[in-house]
Amino acid sequence: MDGFVTMIYRQIKRFINSRSRFVMSIVNPIIWIIFFGLGWSNVFRFPEAKVIFGGLDYLTYLASGMVAMSIIMSSFMSGMSVIWDKRFGFLKETLVAPASRAEVILGRAFGDSIISVFQGLIILIFMYFITSKINLLGVLPALTYGLILAMCFTSFGLVIALKLSSMEGFQMIINLMTMPLLFLGGIFYPIDSLPEWIKVIAYINPVTYAVDGMRYSLTRVSKFEPIVDVFILSSLAAIMSVLAVRSYNSTTIED
Amino acid sequence: MVGESIMVEKIVKRFRDVTAVDGVSFSVREGEVYGLLGPNGAGKTTTIHILTTLLRPTSGTAYVAGYDVVKESDKVRKEIGIVFQDPSLDDQLTAYDNMYIHGKLYGLKGDVLRSKILEMLDFVDLKDFKYKQVKYFSGGMRRRLEIARSLLHEPHVLFLDEPTIGLDPQTRLKLWEYVRRIKKERNITVFLTTHYMDEAEELCDRISIMDKGKIVAEGSADELKSLVGSEVIYLKFKNEFNKVSGCLEADFIIKCNRVKDNLMEIVVKDATTALPQLFEIINRLNIEVTEVSYKRPTLNEVFISLTGRELRDSLEYETLPQFIRRW
Ligand SMILES: Nc1ncnc2c1ncn2[C@@H]1O[C@H](COP(=O)(O)OP(=O)(O)OP(=O)(O)O)[C@@H](O)[C@H]1O
Ligand SMILES: [Mg+2]
Repeated sequence: MDGFVTMIYRQIKRFINSRSRFVMSIVNPIIWIIFFGLGWSNVFRFPEAKVIFGGLDYLTYLASGMVAMSIIMSSFMSGMSVIWDKRFGFLKETLVAPASRAEVILGRAFGDSIISVFQGLIILIFMYFITSKINLLGVLPALTYGLILAMCFTSFGLVIALKLSSMEGFQMIINLMTMPLLFLGGIFYPIDSLPEWIKVIAYINPVTYAVDGMRYSLTRVSKFEPIVDVFILSSLAAIMSVLAVRSYNSTTIED
Repeated sequence: MVGESIMVEKIVKRFRDVTAVDGVSFSVREGEVYGLLGPNGAGKTTTIHILTTLLRPTSGTAYVAGYDVVKESDKVRKEIGIVFQDPSLDDQLTAYDNMYIHGKLYGLKGDVLRSKILEMLDFVDLKDFKYKQVKYFSGGMRRRLEIARSLLHEPHVLFLDEPTIGLDPQTRLKLWEYVRRIKKERNITVFLTTHYMDEAEELCDRISIMDKGKIVAEGSADELKSLVGSEVIYLKFKNEFNKVSGCLEADFIIKCNRVKDNLMEIVVKDATTALPQLFEIINRLNIEVTEVSYKRPTLNEVFISLTGRELRDSLEYETLPQFIRRW
């Protein structure tokens, strides 16, 4: 367990010591909420709109999605920090340590996931005050969904980052991935409204299940049964974690 | 386990366009301090990275503490410690946290860990800076912290990749002393690279000279020096002296040569044993000698004679008396 707990400690300590990263990942979703959310919520004022969003007004509908979005964005930063560690040499230090590599990389992913969820929580609090229709009892379950979602994307980011050496390359891949993940994950509109062939992507997108689960917990609106959300989301997170462990196990300092 | 701590057989490491290590074999006995000496780009760091499981060799095998570095890398990692040549600290964390995380990753715990951290920070004079983030540290402070960190756990085999680069003289001496101590008290095997000849001579039981991916010579410092041969004694006489028109002769003198009227160059195998005998002769002949000096070949000369190039770096440039020409 030592490697796991130690890396959680390291990631969190590092996060506390660098405030700019924290500010950046909070500001981004808030900008979205203000410019995108508030704008569209006025467009969707007409009565039929509520039917599309399962009886919710648009801002409340968007709340769960914004929490998920901030979690996804900051989860990808985990991969960034690996590339950073490659540059500054700290990766060598963890690679040569006798602690189990599986524990080290999972600890890293989990530590960064906790940070992501913390940021998600701040967005959730923000949303609570501008919508005031959020079920407070659902906060804990929603954050649990958030944590599993974060494990998915921290692990995914780690897999990619371990293979790359440039920040620019990583940033490019992440930028390419983020848009489809966000738009085909039920964050901004229900996936039912998507064309059939795109729906396929939505169904294998972990964001879909995380957002659906959160939306159920926070606003009692959902497409799938919660149990389905939990099961599929956890399975995807498990697969990603296994991939991260495997790629860390075979990592050398060559690239 | 007695015997070989490190065993390397014909390892080759090719990067895309360069062969960094080109068929190197050697072995290091348990408790030995072994040095790899060579110029920039010789392949020293690459060798260390292979031995510490951070790189996979293109071909060849290597064992550290009895385990295969490729097939049993987990077990190898449990036995080793390393000071990297390049920085490897987390500069957004404090010195203490860097040590703490290292200790935890190496299985140390609780009070033992805490007191060990303080002890090692004290050893490198960083105790007052323990809660300062590493990004505010100077280069030498970082280096000292890395050294302290690598000594936190007590490995069986310690790798030091140019450990004293960037250290001030007192810290360098302290490190040398420490290396000697851990070798003696705990029988730790130390594998170090350097391009300071003096450091290699000072610390290492055996030295390999590496150049362009190959080991060109191996042995103790004395053995290596005997490769280039003999030592030279210089005698300076009183100016008016002219009794000996030619040279001194004895069976221990390999060659004798009058450099100037009052300066004689005597080539011997071993100056330390030759000098007393030489004085006897001088006394017998009643010659007045004003100055004596002798010069042993350095590893630099060894390197030149093996590769035809100079291994420049030295901690202290030799201060030869002005009147002696270099040979
Ligand atoms: N990751 C890498 N990719 C490609 N080439 C590399 C890599 N690492 C080292 N090399 C090359 O391998 C050769 C040996 O490098 P190495 O770092 O082992 O030398 P060194 O003996 O440690 O030198 P120095 O005294 O400068 O530290 C060099 O030519 C270097 O350019
Ligand atoms: Mg090197």
